[in-house]
Amino acid sequence: MAFSTTVSQRKHIKRKAPRGFLKRVFKRQKPHLRLETRGDLLVHLNCLLFVHRLAEETRMNAFENKCGVIKKEHVQAAAKVILKKSRG
Amino acid sequence: MADSYDGDSEPTTRTLLRRVLDTADTRTPRRRRSARVGYERALSESASNHTDYGSGLSRIQLAHVHTSGNVEEQTPRTLLKNILLTAPESSIMRPESVVKPVPTPQVVQSSRRDSSRGSLELQLPELEPSTTLALGLLAPGRRKQRLRLSVFQQGVDQGLPLSQEPRGNASASSLTSSLNLTFATPLQPQSVQRPGLARRPPTHRAVDVGAFLQDLRDTSLALDTQPFSQPLVGRSPSGYHSLPCLSHTEVEDAERAISHRTQSSGPRLQNHNPGKPAQLLAGKAKKVDAHAVSFPNNSSTISGEDGVEPLQDGVDEEAEERMEETSPELASSTTEFLQARQPQFLEPALPPRTAVLSSEPLEPLPTRLPPRARTPGPRPRQDPHKTGLSHYVKLFSFSAKMPMEKKALEMVEKCLDKYFQHLCDDLEVFAAHAGRKTVKPEDLELLMRRQGLVNDQVSLHVLVERYLPLEYRQLLIPCAFSGNSVFPAQ
Repeated sequence: MAFSTTVSQRKHIKRKAPRGFLKRVFKRQKPHLRLETRGDLLVHLNCLLFVHRLAEETRMNAFENKCGVIKKEHVQAAAKVILKKSRG
Repeated sequence: MADSYDGDSEPTTRTLLRRVLDTADTRTPRRRRSARVGYERALSESASNHTDYGSGLSRIQLAHVHTSGNVEEQTPRTLLKNILLTAPESSIMRPESVVKPVPTPQVVQSSRRDSSRGSLELQLPELEPSTTLALGLLAPGRRKQRLRLSVFQQGVDQGLPLSQEPRGNASASSLTSSLNLTFATPLQPQSVQRPGLARRPPTHRAVDVGAFLQDLRDTSLALDTQPFSQPLVGRSPSGYHSLPCLSHTEVEDAERAISHRTQSSGPRLQNHNPGKPAQLLAGKAKKVDAHAVSFPNNSSTISGEDGVEPLQDGVDEEAEERMEETSPELASSTTEFLQARQPQFLEPALPPRTAVLSSEPLEPLPTRLPPRARTPGPRPRQDPHKTGLSHYVKLFSFSAKMPMEKKALEMVEKCLDKYFQHLCDDLEVFAAHAGRKTVKPEDLELLMRRQGLVNDQVSLHVLVERYLPLEYRQLLIPCAFSGNSVFPAQ
């Protein structure tokens, strides 16, 4: 746990939004649409919240199965729920 | 109030009064005066009449008496007294014109004494009660000046010539003191007594600066042979200090460099000299040219370092010229050297490097070149997509706070891809619903509201503040600034 936390913390230092990546993704998906500058950041915010919810759900699934390690099944089950939620 | 004229039975008083009134400058209507005042006046008049003064003094004394007794009366005496009070300096020179705003009983006493003593002695008794008064009236800090007054009084008593002005000052000060005014005049005798205290010799620093600059120039002349710029270049990215600090350290380092000659002083110079102004650099560059022939090795390094630093300073032309002038072969090697050394500058371990580099400038070159020749192969198409996603995958693993399998991480990537697809579709729908072809932040807010992230309790701004760093928050949340401006503009 300690090792993972330290590693994660080292990774997590950069809180930058991959704005170029997000713009590229949107362009690839919807080339006929345009994305505003500030919308980029809000998309990043949305992704953050999605990832948070997903991680939370995955952890809960792993706890329910009494596993100390997150497995694929946990992630899958959690993704189903969260994607349904974030459909809008 | 009984009329003084009616009450006074003494003929002498009356005659005296009449005399005074006749000699008065302006005629004033006779007013009823208190008996006490009349008696005092009479006494003073009688005493004053015995002296050989003119009527002025008696008049003045009477004026004081009058003022002490009746404030509202505008007699010539009061007027005279006021004038004398306001302009005591004029009256200083003449002992007769000395005015004493002392309360009546003391005036009476002084007048009595006056009658017995001479002109000079008149001052002393007048001053003594005044000083005693002053002691009581003024702050204790005035003791020194009062002592001097007494000294002056003694001098006056002895008939010293200096008594004129200081005595006048003392008298004026006594006047002011009795009226609780500040002691302005005694300050002059202070300065007169001790002229040395008035001013102090200024400007010690000017000399130091001049000598210092001369030392600077001397050292700069001697510095051309030393690889002085070498440590400067190493330190240039770290920052620039002010000129005096630089010059100080430069002087020290120059001396050391002269004594130790290069590497040993290199690290010290490095540590002390983060940067240099362009002037000194230019001067040194010129020196480098002059000594290039005699010291080819050093000059190469110097020109190299000079080249790097002026580049960073923005004085490229001079450096390039110098480099060209020294030697073309060395210049080529130095350019490579510079390119090779540039990535090194950013590294913190500079002292050992400079020693190594200065001693063996050519060795790092072959080690640096091979990595440059190797270029990375063609990148896969998914790579940027994967690298972008990996950012969020790392966030996921951080949020989970649990060790994860690699398959789980791949699963997360798939989920994210699906998520982005959904996201773009929704945004397209919303933008089309609003009749736009551009996705605006309003669409994003609507999406979040539909997702249930934004409620009536939790607004978008709250989420922005919670999850995003400051730089993004500033861009997203409109904030009012000075000058009636809002950023970002809405």
